[in-house]
Amino acid sequence: MSPRPSTAHVRRPAILTAAAEVISERGVQNTRISDVAARAGTSAPGVLYWFPSKDALLAEALTFSDDRFYDSLTGELQGLDSATERLRRLVELWPAEGDGETVLWMELWVRALHDPELAKTRERLDGRWRDAIADVVREGQASGEFGGDDADDLALLLGAVMDGYAIQLALGDPAVSMDTVRRHCLQLAMRGVEHGEGAMEQA
Amino acid sequence: MSRERILDAAVNRIAADGIDDVRIARIAMDAGVSTALVHYHFATREALLAEALVHSFDRAGDTRTEGGEGLRGMIEQCLPLPGEQEQDWVLWVELWLRAVRHPELRPTAAKLYERMHEWFKEAIEEELPDADPDATADLILALIDGYGIRALLGDPAMPLERAREAVWGALAPLPTPQ
Repeated sequence: MSPRPSTAHVRRPAILTAAAEVISERGVQNTRISDVAARAGTSAPGVLYWFPSKDALLAEALTFSDDRFYDSLTGELQGLDSATERLRRLVELWPAEGDGETVLWMELWVRALHDPELAKTRERLDGRWRDAIADVVREGQASGEFGGDDADDLALLLGAVMDGYAIQLALGDPAVSMDTVRRHCLQLAMRGVEHGEGAMEQA
Repeated sequence: MSRERILDAAVNRIAADGIDDVRIARIAMDAGVSTALVHYHFATREALLAEALVHSFDRAGDTRTEGGEGLRGMIEQCLPLPGEQEQDWVLWVELWLRAVRHPELRPTAAKLYERMHEWFKEAIEEELPDADPDATADLILALIDGYGIRALLGDPAMPLERAREAVWGALAPLPTPQ
């Protein structure tokens, strides 16, 4: 019998990757633990050992995916010279067309409506994304590249708009394309660091 | 009309319990009918739930087209204000999710977005003549959804009052015609 703890670094990520795929395809409601187990090449008890419920799988799968995103993001952003380039890159790196992950976020939102624990998870993950944006904005402000006021407000605006557009994209709205969305988000971001978000006096 | 009573009851149950936990027996009880009658009108649970979502938006769509209070008032009407609007929102979010997986529901979602887009576009052409009406309408819808979902989820960073101000405030530096 193999010692379980030593396979943790292999087993847990494999299960989370499988969970992301299956939940993305079927939705949490129609996902069984054994479906995830089969996809991950393990057994149902093998999954339950790490994750007590489907909701836990959803939360952890998104956290895991986010962790990997931020790991690669740090490297990418470091390679760029200006805050403008970094901000543009952030907006560009945001979920690609046909990405199965948008639907996972939507699952999280829906379940968070009725589950305070998941609502907290969503808040935490959202906060991390908004902080990533705000950090880039603040760097730009510190270096004099950007003007504008509150980096957190702008981050919240961009986060909200990106989610809103993500929904329209996921629904396959023919009037909305990924290119158009990226362009609008970039415009909004650049305007925000020029004039400052919510500058009503300029209307 | 018992069919409509059943749909009304289903809408309320979905909003209260979440679409996955809704029980037909409970809907029947709320509507004051037998489960047999529910099954008579709706062949499957899925059919009932899908139609309930559509039903709630047919109801809501009528309220929304009553606009005329200006752009700011229109934005208000689309946010999850307490009461029926909040309930509409819960259903809307459920519909989003289902429509992503069930293409046959997408026309419903698309229809509502289209209606709202045109509704906003008219007001934008009137109130913000220098703005690109299509791009601005898209932006408003994205802002309402993005801020609205956070307000609905009770995100401390985005209480409802803030959502109202934030959507309106984001329109200040406008997209200009391409």
